[in-house]
Parts: sequence; C-alpha cells; structure tokens
Amino acid sequence: MKHVTRAYRALANRHGMGAALFVAIAVTLWVVVFITLPQLSMLDYSFRFNLPADQIGTEADHYTLSNFHSFFFNADGSLNRLDLVILGRTLLAAAIVTLIDVIICYPIAYILAHGAKGVAARLMVIGLIIPYWINEILRAFAFRVLFGATGVVNTVGMQMGLWDVPVDFIRADVALYFGLSYAYILLMIFPMYNAIEALDHTQVEAARDMGAPLWRVHWRVVLPIAKPGIVSGATMVFMLTAGALAAPQILGGPSNLWFTQVIYQWFNESSNWPRGSAYAVVLLLTCISFVLLMMRVFKVSVGEIGK
Amino acid sequence: MPETSPVSSPDRSVLLDHVSIRFGNFTAVDNANLKINSGEFFSFLGPSGCGKTTLLRCISGFSEPTEGRVLIGAKDMKGVGPNKRPTALIFQHLALFPLMSVADNIAFPLEVRGVGKKMRRKRAEDLLDMIALPGIGDKKVSELSGGQKQRVAIARALAVEPDILLLDEPLSALDLKLRQHMRTELRAIQQQVGVTFIYITHDQGEALTMSDRVAVMSKGVIEQVGAPDQIYNRPRSSFVASFVGENNALKGIVKVQSEDMAALETPMGTFEARVGGGRKYKPGDEALLFVRPEQLVPGKAENAFQATLSRQEFEGATNHVFARAGDTDLRISMVNGGLAGSVGSTGDTMSLGFAPMNATILPVGQIASEA
Amino acid sequence: MSRAVVFGGAYAIAFFSFLFGPLIIMVITAFNSSKFPRIVPWDCFTTGWFAELFGNQRLMEGLLNSVIIGVGVVALAVPIGLAGALALSELPSKLRAMLYTVLILPILIPGVVLGISTIVLWGQISRGLGGAVQAGMYNGYFLTIVGQITFVSAYAMLVFIARLQRFDATQTEAALDLGATPGQAFRKILLPFMAPAIGSAAFITLLASFENYNTTVFTVLSESTFTTALASKVRHGTDPSLSALAVIIITITLVGALTNEAVQRRKEAELGGKASRSPLYANPLTRALTHPGVVFAILVAIVATVSYVGSKHDSSVCEAAILQDKLDRQAELRAAQKAKIEAQEVEQGITVPKPEGGFGGAFGGLGGAAPVAPAAPKPEGGFGGAFGGIAPPAPSE
Ligand SMILES: Nc1ncnc2c1ncn2[C@@H]1O[C@H](COP(=O)(O)OP(=O)(O)OP(=O)(O)O)[C@@H](O)[C@H]1O
Ligand SMILES: [Mg+2]
Repeated sequence: MKHVTRAYRALANRHGMGAALFVAIAVTLWVVVFITLPQLSMLDYSFRFNLPADQIGTEADHYTLSNFHSFFFNADGSLNRLDLVILGRTLLAAAIVTLIDVIICYPIAYILAHGAKGVAARLMVIGLIIPYWINEILRAFAFRVLFGATGVVNTVGMQMGLWDVPVDFIRADVALYFGLSYAYILLMIFPMYNAIEALDHTQVEAARDMGAPLWRVHWRVVLPIAKPGIVSGATMVFMLTAGALAAPQILGGPSNLWFTQVIYQWFNESSNWPRGSAYAVVLLLTCISFVLLMMRVFKVSVGEIGK
Repeated sequence: MPETSPVSSPDRSVLLDHVSIRFGNFTAVDNANLKINSGEFFSFLGPSGCGKTTLLRCISGFSEPTEGRVLIGAKDMKGVGPNKRPTALIFQHLALFPLMSVADNIAFPLEVRGVGKKMRRKRAEDLLDMIALPGIGDKKVSELSGGQKQRVAIARALAVEPDILLLDEPLSALDLKLRQHMRTELRAIQQQVGVTFIYITHDQGEALTMSDRVAVMSKGVIEQVGAPDQIYNRPRSSFVASFVGENNALKGIVKVQSEDMAALETPMGTFEARVGGGRKYKPGDEALLFVRPEQLVPGKAENAFQATLSRQEFEGATNHVFARAGDTDLRISMVNGGLAGSVGSTGDTMSLGFAPMNATILPVGQIASEA
Repeated sequence: MSRAVVFGGAYAIAFFSFLFGPLIIMVITAFNSSKFPRIVPWDCFTTGWFAELFGNQRLMEGLLNSVIIGVGVVALAVPIGLAGALALSELPSKLRAMLYTVLILPILIPGVVLGISTIVLWGQISRGLGGAVQAGMYNGYFLTIVGQITFVSAYAMLVFIARLQRFDATQTEAALDLGATPGQAFRKILLPFMAPAIGSAAFITLLASFENYNTTVFTVLSESTFTTALASKVRHGTDPSLSALAVIIITITLVGALTNEAVQRRKEAELGGKASRSPLYANPLTRALTHPGVVFAILVAIVATVSYVGSKHDSSVCEAAILQDKLDRQAELRAAQKAKIEAQEVEQGITVPKPEGGFGGAFGGLGGAAPVAPAAPKPEGGFGGAFGGIAPPAPSE
C-alpha cells in the first residue's frame, strides 16, 4: 500500500494531479470492477442453487457444494465420466494443438528472424497478419468448406480414388484440429520471433563453422534463446484453444463436445447459471493450474507474456 | 518579457549548504559545501559515476537533498519544483522535442507561461539570431546537425532568461572539432548573457579552458574548488593531482617538514618539494610526490636523479619521453627545440631534475586511473 | 548452407499454403452458384451471393450493433489501457510484475469465463438496484461493452507499453525544467508522443471488439452482434454468402495492407535520405504514383470497378440450365429408385433432398450436392448448438 501511494505521488509529480487521478481511477475500476468482482461474483454463484427469481434471497438461497459435486459425481454416486472426460479431452486436445503449433511455427519464426531479408521478410510478415484480419468465425467456416462432405478435400480425394464415400472429417474432429491449429498461429509466431531475433546470428554461424550439425545448433544455441518466446506463445495458444467456443461449435463433431460447449449449454439451453458458473470455475482453475505448472517446469515468469 | 525581466542585476548565486544525497545506503554526494558566484562559469569535473549529474539534478529541483540545503539567489529552494526554479538545464542528450519545430522548441518555455503566439515567434527569432542560426525556425529538429541542435538547446534554455544555466556534459556527443569550437562559443554566450553557468564534465580540457572556477569531484566528495591554474598547479589531494593533467607520482617517506616545504626520501633519492593542501607530516610518514611531465628537465641540478630512456613519442610541438628510474615509470614532456633538442636514444641514461616549487607532496590516497 | 536455404524456402511455401489455402478456396466458392460452398463441381460463375449477403437482415442488424458496441469499447478501453501502461511505468519492479500479471490475465482467461462472470455480476447488481437502472444496465449493449473492456483494455495496454518504452523520460523533465507544470508536460509532450499508439490501440480494440465471439455470445443476451449472428448462421447451415463476406473482408484487408506498406515505404525512404536517390522518387510521375494517397485511390477505384462490373453480371441463364439438368437427373434417379423399390420390396424410403434447399439449415449439407450417393451421410448442419448432439443434463450416453 505504501508503494502504491508512493507510485501515485510519483505520477502526480511527473504528469500532474489530473493525470494521476485519471490513472488511479481507471486502473482501480479495471482491476476491481472489471476483473476481480465479476470473478468473485461468478465464484459466489457457483455455490448457489438454481432458484427461480422470486426465491432468491429467501431461506432456500444458501450456499451449497452441489454444483461441484455433480461435476464430479452422478446422482447415484458414481463418477461423472461424461463431464470429466470432456474436460480431460479438451485439455489434452488443447495441449496437442499447442505442441503442433510450436513445431510448425518454430521454423517460420527462425526464418523470419534470421533467414528472410528485405522484401521477402516484409511479405512474410504481411502474409502472417492478413489471415488474422479475417473474422474467427469465417476462418472456421473456411475449414468447413475445405472438409465438408462436398468440400475440396473430399471431392479431390474421391476423384483421385483414395476413398469412394465422402469421409466425415467433421465427425472425426479432423476439421476441428486443423481449424484450432490454424486459429492462433500468429500468437505463437510473434513471441517466438521476438525472442529468436535477439539472438546474434554470428553465434549460429560460429557454431556451424565448428561443424555442429543444424539440429544441434538449434537445440543448443537457438532454442535456449527462443524458450521464453515459446513458453509465452504456448501459454496464449493453450489458453485460447482450451477456452475456444466458436471453432468447436462450427467444426466439432456432434458427439465430441468441447468443455466450453458444455458450459454454454448449461447457460443458454438449460438456464442453470449456478451449474454453468461452477463449470466455468472448474475450467478457469484447471487452465490456470496447467499453465502455472508449465511455467514452473520451464522456469519462465508471467511477465514474459504479451511481449 | 514577463516576470523574469531583470530590473537591477539579480542575485544569481548558488549556495550548496552541506548537501548530501543518498540512495538507500549509497551516498552519491557527500557533504558538498560551496558557493557559486553570480555570473560565474563554474564547472564540476570528475570521472564517470562520481555524482555530478546527481548534484545537478538536485540544484535544478528534480530531487531534494537528503541533508543540507540548496539556496539560489539566497532563497532556500526546499519544496520548489523544477518548473518554479530560476534554473534551466541542458540535458546530456539535449532532450529537444522531436515533434515540434525548432521555433516551437525554443518558444516552449513561453508557451507554457501563456505568452501569445506572435510574441513567442518574435522571441524565438531573436534567440535564433543570437545563436547565429537565423531562419531555421520552421525546420524539424531531426533536420539539424549536432552542433545546431546544441545551440538550439541553449537558445531554448535561455528563452525565459533563467538566472542559472545548468549544463550536463552537453558536448560529449559531438566530435572533437565541433567540441572545441563549441567551447569558445559557450563561453562567448555566457559572457553575452551574464547568466551563471554550472557546467558538468568529465573532460578536464573543457573544464580548464572555459571555467572561472572548477570543483573536482571523486566518489561523491568534492576534493577541491579553485581556479583552473590553481587546480592544475596546486592540487590538494593525490586524486586531483592525478586526475587533472598528466602527473608523475613518486612514493616515499617524509624526512623533515619546514613550513610548506618538505624532504621526501624515495628509492631514487631524497627530493625537496612543496607541501600540498597545508598538511603537517611527522618524519616517517608515507607520502606521494607529484611532478608534472613538463617540470622534469634534463640536466637540471635541483632534485637531480638518473633515469633510463625507454621510448619516445614525437608529436610535433612536444616530444613525449618515457623513462624508467628504479621501479617507477616516468613521463617527460619537452618542447621541441629543433634539431638540437634530441635527448638520446632508447637505453641511454639521462639525468633529470625539477624545481622544488613545481612539485607537490601529498598524502597517499586515491589515484585516478584514467588520467 | 544452400541446402538449408532450399529447405527453408520449401517450408515457408508449405506453411503459407496452409495459411492461405483455406482462404483462397473459400474466396473461390463465393463465385460458384452452387448452394453449398464448393469449387468442384463448378456450376456457374455468379455474384449473386453478395446480394444475398447484403439482404441478410440479421447480419446487417448485427453489424449496426457491433458498431455501437465497438465505439463504446474503444472509448473506454483505450483510456483504461493507457492508464494501465502509465501505472506500470511508475511502480517499483515487484509491484509492477504483480499488476502486470493481473492486467494481462483477462487475455488468457477463457472468453467464456469472462462472459459468464460479467452477466452474473451485473445481473446481481442490476437486480439489487431494480427499476429503470436494471433495464439500462442489464441489456446486451451495456453488458457486452463491460465484458469486452475487461480484456480489450489489455490489448490497448500492450500497445501503449511498447510505445512508452521508447519514450525518453528526460523529455518530460526538460519540459518541467523549462517551466511547464506536470499537467502541461503530460498534455504537450507525452500525449503527442503517444498519439500514434492511441491510433493503433483504437484500431486494435475496435477490431478485437468486432471479432469477439466467446465473451459476446454470453453478454449480448437476446441481441446479436455481427460476429454472433455470423456464428449462428454458420452453425445452422452454410451457404456461399459467407464466402462472399470473406471476399469483402479480405479485399478491405489487402487494400489496407498495401496502403500501409506504401506509407511505411515512403516514411522509411524519407528518413533514410533514400528519397532523393531512389529513381522512383526522382521521376515526378512515379513519385506521385507511389504516394500512399494515390495508391489507396487506385486500389479503391479498381475495387469499385470490379464490384460494378460484377453487380451487372447475370448468371440466371446458366443457373436455370444447371437447375434443369439437376431436375432431370433427379427425376431419372427417382424413377430408377422407384423401380428398385418395387423390385426389391424395400419399404424404407429415402428422402430425396429438395433441390431448392430453401431452409438451408438442418439439411443444408445435402442440398442436391450428392446426387450420386443416395445413401447420404448424416447431415452435417445440425450439430453443436441448436440440434445439440448431447444435452448436458443427460449424464450417460
Ligand atoms: N536514482 C538512483 N538510484 C540509485 N543510485 C543512483 C541513482 N542515480 C544515480 N545513482 C548512483 O549515483 C552515482 C552517481 O551517479 P551520477 O549520475 O550522478 O554520476 P555522474 O557523475 O553524472 O556520471 P557520468 O559522468 O557517467 O554521467 C552512481 O554510482 C549511480 O549509480
Ligand atoms: Mg551524468
């Protein structure tokens, strides 16, 4: 608190009372009203019963663990496999998508940082950004066009005689994985690029001169430098993939739900907000723990993210 | 001009009254106590990191002293912000505003004081005339050369006629030629406007050529204050002796002291010299004898000793001779005396001497590494 | 060494094919008259899907809502982001890291969670306040703006942090030293320096607000934004008017990117002093042609011309022919089936898809596209939401 008031005074001295007041109010509003309170409120809600409006505030309205209990267990006491499996599969799929993105983005980030020059580098950057100007929904739609029953992949595949009945890529979640891997590539490449760019290229050349094979140069010289960028990008891609809603709704198979879809259904179809809140809390906590775990494992701090 | 217009000659002095500035446990300025006179060109000279900028920021109001007081024109400046002090600071990298034109830069101090547009333009043009850059008011800052930027920064600082102009190594970014030219120019401007200049530098050449007086600093401590020739010829500490100009240091033991002269026994012999800083030594005390390269004269009978010539560097007007006596390396500067002036070749033994009045005995202390 | 270059080049080409392939295919489908977005078989070249797009009431309403919400979000998120960046610049490092984590968190938190927490909190607050306040607060516009600000402000903040890092703090000190009050220094020195960042932050926040689905789909309640309308359209069956939309967006993007490139080039050339040397700038004609304004005007003119010519294109004759062809073939097929059914006495009939495909929704997937395969695969239009595969309350499958 002492530091906060001191920082406030420093701000006032540097930029004036008006600016300091503006900063203080805006940041407080953001942190308290927009970030913290909603989460607390959701947490509070997740411990309540789903009551009709006229019963809220009455005796029936007290705290309960039932929403969380029914996430883990069915009414008969057996494990709630359905939801647990969906959550597990969502996390696993998000992790796989993240890994795929790391692998396919690394060479591009490296080429961009140390290979491409001038016009080529410029074109590459523009080429990376342009797809992200296009609405997320339309990007997902593009993969539906690609993988639909009459999509290009099926028509070409069948015409080449690879298969003779349209393959349902959507039911098999192939379209979904492609779409998700595609969706956040940019967020993986740029932090990676920023990190790799800091590398002095002569180091790579020196290592090559000493006869180290290419893979070894990357493993020993480039990767350690790229690590914070990779972790930063991976964190973002993982969180966004695990929290994705549009892509699974558009590209997901009808029987394999994403965990966000389950939450969505509790809210919008079953109108059970407390249960939905509880599921949202579960999603939030597992995602954050997963990311913190990964950061601990790779020894990277949150401060790296967003750079 | 608004409020700052000088009616009679104002008091433009600065008094540092036992000023100490600390960052946590670290003392950046240690008990600075001196007075800078009205209209003086005063320099702080010291190696990098000795606390010069810290002291300057304290005078201009960006920080308050941890202890002591800063008085400007005999007024205590405690609690007076930088924008309320009659000082103007020229930053090390000038801090011109890149988004404004040259004229807008110069007129900025007037703008924030609510002076009208026409008046501002007029004043900016006057100042541009003063710095001999008429007609560049509409240029962008990025279009100026280094020396032009320098002068624009000075014009901007002088726009509201401050009492004190503070300059933080303003020439360090310029090349050598321009730097030497700007020295003369700065001095001329100072004499023209009569403002007190407080100048910071780690370049002794700058400090000695421009200043009325110089304060030499080391590790936050002001070692000596005086006119340039005093600093050079009468150093009061081994740091000042070794930091300002070239110097030879001979280590020895004091045998006798009488008034301001003493005899020092060194491995090369016993020498007589002036005692620096008004110190008192007991026989047996360790001390250093400083003698400048140009004071070592071949064949001189006083304080004579033998040395072996190790190498020479010929530099036109002066000939730098390096010799070794005992385990001490010596540096000798000789005015080029034409073809007759040769002192011999490497390996030759030469006899050297120096006048007692032109050498100084000082207590053993810090020696500046980069002279 | 050259092997590495070849490999790198080949990889880059493969990678960019992955990035652009789906988009290019989508763009092409916008001009095929087939009711389902596809490029083979090709029916007729048409521009009709653009008309269909603009005629979509729900999307156009959503567009208006998105603009309203976007303006609100930009107006709030940009100042908030700026405040965040300024606060961070003044805090000691430990506290700074803490605040940074808190402020950046909304970018990482799943959008669904943000949306839910927003409606839950404001639902409670407005219920407590009741009356007119409740109506003003608990509506899609307010909630969406509030919900989006939470994380959009962080994007703005990142832009400002990057810019602020390049600010030379001695500029402010110089202004103070020259007699400016801190407020004056802020307005006359820092804000003008931040101006370009304010522009790009506004742009990025507008785009992020416009684009957002995960949070908005909860907070928008019964209203809809452009993106949520789009999503529900995609979920309930696809038709090439969405491809037409992609064509429009991609065109705008390309025009923007090229103009921006022209601006950057010129700026660089002028800064580097290359402007006087480059032959492009020496010749007055080429110099004028490479001016960003001219580049932009030329691009707009091209787009306008193409759109005008395109809008005059009439594909009805070709489409009628194709339709006739289809009807003939279906009649044939039906006859063949009838014969088959009669012959084998199989009582289970197959619904023959209607060629008009008018209700595009649940059966949109077939839409006369699979005449050769009567044993059609399951329609792909009806999953995910409305025709939901699984209703969550059913715990077993
Ligand atoms: N805000 C601060 N916090 C902690 N230490 C500081 C701070 N400002 C300066 N110092 C320390 O005080 C000492 C003096 O710094 P100062 O900038 O005054 O040096 P200087 O003499 O101007 O050097 P230079 O010639 O390199 O500019 C340095 O050791 C520096 O690290
Ligand atoms: Mg300094």
